[in-house]
Amino acid sequence: MTVLILTCEEDVTADMVVVHLNGAGVPVVRLDPADLTGGVSLSGEYVHGRFRGHLSAGGRLVSIGGLRSVWVRRPGSPAERAPQPSAWLTEEASQALYGMLRGCDARWMNHPDAARQARHKPWQLRLAQRCGLPVPATVITTFPRAAREFAERFPDLVVKPVSGAHPQDPPRAVPTSRVAPDTDFSAVAYGPTLLQRRIAKRADIRLTVVGDVLLAARKATAPDADPQVVDVRFAAPGPPWEPVEVPPRTADAVLDYMRRAQLAYGAFDFAEDADGMWWFLECNQSGQFGFVEVETEQPIARTIAEWLSRPVPEEPTEPAGSVTTAR
Amino acid sequence: MQPFALNYARPAVELAVATPYAYDSGLQLNVLGDGRIAACDHALLREVGTTTSTAGSKTHFDD
Repeated sequence: MTVLILTCEEDVTADMVVVHLNGAGVPVVRLDPADLTGGVSLSGEYVHGRFRGHLSAGGRLVSIGGLRSVWVRRPGSPAERAPQPSAWLTEEASQALYGMLRGCDARWMNHPDAARQARHKPWQLRLAQRCGLPVPATVITTFPRAAREFAERFPDLVVKPVSGAHPQDPPRAVPTSRVAPDTDFSAVAYGPTLLQRRIAKRADIRLTVVGDVLLAARKATAPDADPQVVDVRFAAPGPPWEPVEVPPRTADAVLDYMRRAQLAYGAFDFAEDADGMWWFLECNQSGQFGFVEVETEQPIARTIAEWLSRPVPEEPTEPAGSVTTAR
Repeated sequence: MQPFALNYARPAVELAVATPYAYDSGLQLNVLGDGRIAACDHALLREVGTTTSTAGSKTHFDD
């Protein structure tokens, strides 16, 4: 049984997992859906009540029925590198590839439906609340007045994109940024705006979850850190990431989140305050982990490889006379 | 007429460092010029920063 990895060629983080799969002797096929119909080919037949499908990439041929797991890492848009790419061809290629894969019994990291849902940051905040994780006071609004009133209640605020996406025309980044108390909020009317109470953090926490395994790392806030810079991705390097234990209540809540979100993998970001409380910021369903592993030597890649290597669970055989229920 | 959050935007910084490895479709891994597997060289990965959570990427917004 083969592990299928959907990612781009330059994804060296996926390589970290492939190395472990190779070491364990687990067959791997790695392809980028962007290379349909160039270096990647597919075929599937629905005949006589059965399905037989195959994928081919890099001289390797794999039966879709022979997949034990599918890891959706950093795939390109299907057929985007085809000789004559188009939105129509991408949709055709997407339906063909993911439609066939969805019909197989392989385990997913993460299933496309779960991944799509999990990308919604407002949904993340609500799920985190339901799971008992502390969530900083947040408003998402297009009403300037609501933003002003929120700022009066919580004067120390940050703003960040609702989606986590960044504008591309031209390419820009929108880091989580502090908002001055006397800010003019009139532009809130021109786009949904996410304002959140700033957590005065003494550390950033990146908690990587693989199945039911929790691997947390902590990056202390440097004593001389610029208080205006709140987004760790834009901060000076500062202290290194170091392994840290997960508080038991946080661990329970995070595993509850993973179950409810139907995620096999998640990278949680927390801000640790002066009391040691971990405040939920977001859960990236395909978050990077390589930068944590290379600094902490935590076995994240190995844990992912082990999860992907597990055999496909056998379909339970139904006893005679049993009632079939929808699932 | 610009949305509020874009008042805090800045130019995206693309990785300017040329990665010292290339994909080998036979191995399904990126390899260095001397044939070593790039993913096994953690010091190198730290240096080039290609495993790092980023912002402003065109495709990877859920880092």
